[in-house]
Amino acid sequence: MTSKDLVLESAADRTTRFERDALVFTNQLYAAALRYTKNPEDARDLVQDTYLKAFTSFHQFEEGTNLRAWLYRVLTTTFINSYRKGQRQPLIADNELEDWQVAKAQSHTSDQGKSAETVALESLPDSDIKRALQEIPEEFRMVVYLADVEGFSYKEIAEIVGAPAGTVMSRLHRGRKQLREKLADYAKELGYSTESSDKPSSKKGGSK
Amino acid sequence: MSFIEIQCSEVLSSVIFIIEDELETVPQAAQINSHLTHCAPCTAEIEHERLMHQMLADVLKRSCNEQAPEELRQNIHRQIREQMGSYTGATEVVTQFSMTEISIEVDEFGNIEHREIQIEQTHIQHFIDDED
Repeated sequence: MTSKDLVLESAADRTTRFERDALVFTNQLYAAALRYTKNPEDARDLVQDTYLKAFTSFHQFEEGTNLRAWLYRVLTTTFINSYRKGQRQPLIADNELEDWQVAKAQSHTSDQGKSAETVALESLPDSDIKRALQEIPEEFRMVVYLADVEGFSYKEIAEIVGAPAGTVMSRLHRGRKQLREKLADYAKELGYSTESSDKPSSKKGGSK
Repeated sequence: MSFIEIQCSEVLSSVIFIIEDELETVPQAAQINSHLTHCAPCTAEIEHERLMHQMLADVLKRSCNEQAPEELRQNIHRQIREQMGSYTGATEVVTQFSMTEISIEVDEFGNIEHREIQIEQTHIQHFIDDED
């Protein structure tokens, strides 16, 4: 039998290590918390709670593994367990997988629809982008944010949100789709859109 | 189009897997790839989806980059220090053992069976430091 390591870490050393390694993510976690809670007061509290929880369980964190992903997991579970209760949204139905994989008869998007979508994304101000994100269901918003802003892989997201990888993929697909539809609608309202009656959402209408 | 080939609609419903570079996890990955080699509208659609995804990710990154308020940073720092205060005076000793058990069995027919079992154990002790 070999004794691999004898690790001696005082509370002060661990605190220093935590502050050095974990606090660099404060801005990122705050921006994510704003997406989760939708308001700055709750976002501040959520980030503070997250760091406290992370600190008290920091000895469980395996050094050398992904600290950022671990912090996001703490943030997400803290949010789900404590903050969501007050503003709970109806959960997405269990059949979300079949809904997009089987049912949809997808058709090709028209060129008009394509250019309208591009124009929407190029023209809309940040405030509209954030508003669209706020309006899509929480389960979609979280995975889209984690994937597209934070760059986590869908497998990492599955661990962070505690959902199966297939579910994450489905939410990612539907979340991005809803977001794009909302942005296209905003652009149209603001008169940015180049198209006339042929909406990009004619995609919904079934196959050609 | 022959019967074994798949429809555009099936290719398009797997677009998320293509965008995420996870097509190999889809059962009809081979047929989808083959379909894409000769279907220009699908290829264009995938290209459009890639572009839109990139643009969407870019605008999201640009829009969601709020800075944490200074007050929050200070609160976190203070909170951590307070929490540490409740630990001071204690030292944590973590001892990790690992043991590998190797067994080699040769049966009457001369077949060799080789097994390795790894056993790991972590032991955590807290000691209260002596006060000066």
